[in-house]
Amino acid sequence: MNLVKTTSTLSAENISVWFGERQVLENVNLVFPANKVTALIGPSGCGKSTFLRTLNRMHELIPGAGLAGSVYLNGEDIYADGMDAVSVRIKVGMVFQKPNPFPTMSIRDNILSGLKLSGRKIENAEELVETSLRRASIWNEVKDRLGDQAISLSGGQQQRLCIARSLAMNPEVLLMDEPCSALDPGSTRRIEETISELSETMAIVIVTHNMQQAQRVSDQTAFFLADENTPGGVVEFGSTEQIFNGPIDPRTNDYVNGHFG
Amino acid sequence: MSNSSIRARQPWRRANISTSIQIVLASVIPLPLVMLLALLAGLDLTMSFITLFVPLQLIVSSFVGYRAFGRRGIGDAILVVLTIFFSTFVLILLLSVLYSVITEGAKAISFQFIGQNNVYVSPTTSLDYGGVGHAILGTLIVVLLTTLAAVPLGVAMAIYLTQSQSKTRNLVRTFTQALSGLPSVVSGLFILSIIEATQMGRSGITGSLALFPLMLPTVARVAEEALRLVPVDLRYAALALGAPNYRAFFQVILPAAKSGLLTALLLGLARVVGETAPLILTMNPSSGTNLNPFDGGMTTLPTYIYNYLASSYQTSQARAWGAALVLLMVVGILFALARILGKSKSKKSKATK
Repeated sequence: MNLVKTTSTLSAENISVWFGERQVLENVNLVFPANKVTALIGPSGCGKSTFLRTLNRMHELIPGAGLAGSVYLNGEDIYADGMDAVSVRIKVGMVFQKPNPFPTMSIRDNILSGLKLSGRKIENAEELVETSLRRASIWNEVKDRLGDQAISLSGGQQQRLCIARSLAMNPEVLLMDEPCSALDPGSTRRIEETISELSETMAIVIVTHNMQQAQRVSDQTAFFLADENTPGGVVEFGSTEQIFNGPIDPRTNDYVNGHFG
Repeated sequence: MSNSSIRARQPWRRANISTSIQIVLASVIPLPLVMLLALLAGLDLTMSFITLFVPLQLIVSSFVGYRAFGRRGIGDAILVVLTIFFSTFVLILLLSVLYSVITEGAKAISFQFIGQNNVYVSPTTSLDYGGVGHAILGTLIVVLLTTLAAVPLGVAMAIYLTQSQSKTRNLVRTFTQALSGLPSVVSGLFILSIIEATQMGRSGITGSLALFPLMLPTVARVAEEALRLVPVDLRYAALALGAPNYRAFFQVILPAAKSGLLTALLLGLARVVGETAPLILTMNPSSGTNLNPFDGGMTTLPTYIYNYLASSYQTSQARAWGAALVLLMVVGILFALARILGKSKSKKSKATK
């Protein structure tokens, strides 16, 4: 498979989000350049995951969801008139908090499922399966059992399979919603290595509650915070180095040093 | 890898000998007691067994339970005795039904009984002539036609109830539940009134129409539960990969719900395959084989049983029992077929390498 280095940039401008009458996010402005890993950190319930879901139009699947602002992928507003959610999700892949391989499919079919589900032709299926599994660093563990059911894998393997499934679509941006929260340290380390390798070919946005993980994998970090009964927003956004070692806002300083949250 | 000197044991099952003896005594003592009481009071043995055995068993077991475990032993003992008693009771009821159908039915049943139809058979004709072949075909045709209409529509309703955000869902669900309480004879009367009004004439298809309102809500409700059990994560996973809704449904949600949908089909079949009343109202009986559901009379196994059971001739009653046994076998074969078909498909998806 030909891995073209993408130069796509994803940016969110003035994003505000509602669930019914309740506003949960206000005026988020973030830029996610190609080949960079961006970590979204902040206490639970501050809207990180919700924000992440606006970036590939998964947010609109929730009944009562509302949105203001724009998200640009390579200069095109993904919420513009005539923009198809399906075509956005093909370019912007997503890995969920809980591993969710398709239980009725084999490991191999899980990898190919994205192409089948989006109605595209599959060329060089075997090569695509191997490349995707290799990029998610799970090839060696499953190469002899590609026909096995995906749910026969361990939790950590399932999550890497889900990453491989997203990679088979060759996305320009990969969104990860706490991908390691259910995993043991070994699996977490392997996924972090995978993230570093993937960042050479795509933009990655990762939500994490693990400060060390954010420091290890990300190039830039956004700190989200929601005060009681007010919508959440970005307190500080900058290079990971600056956020963790020289934060400007005292609240960021408190959070990254574990004083609250 | 395994260390041969260590064996798997079940230490949680360890009971000391005195407890075991007590438990054995607790289950045996009530028996002679009941017989003694019955003899002394001159009661009927069976009746006294039914009325006295369980209370005695409860008392003795509670006592033993108390001796072994203290107060919580009483609760455990009562639960165990009642569970065993009631499950045995239900099992005996079911087995006795099965037993009488098999023993009575076996007298009539033969290859000729299954294969031949009922032409030239009078109430006194010997069991060596005639059979239920036409009724087996009639049952299969009528039930198949009903299934062809009710299963796709029932599953479609379940899809609507689980996948859409529409506001009218609750209304539809309420109607479905109300419909599932519909007495079958009312469904028959409804179709009968249509037959009378339109002069369309009775045939196999009118019988299928009368069964349709009975099968539809059963299929819809069970299928709804099956689809609801599929985790929403899977749908999100599919959509996040760029699947349009219909592909996410057909390639991910539907396969994940397959065994539940199969249960919906089986319960739907079970609901209608033994229906008699609506078919008596909406179909003319036929003693010959009729494969055309749009014209002429057609007999099904339940209506055949109904017609012959009312007769006072012994051969007729034997035919009815035989047909009952055949009906049980038809249902068993249909269920087994559905399970085998469901399994072989899932194996195929496993085998792709």
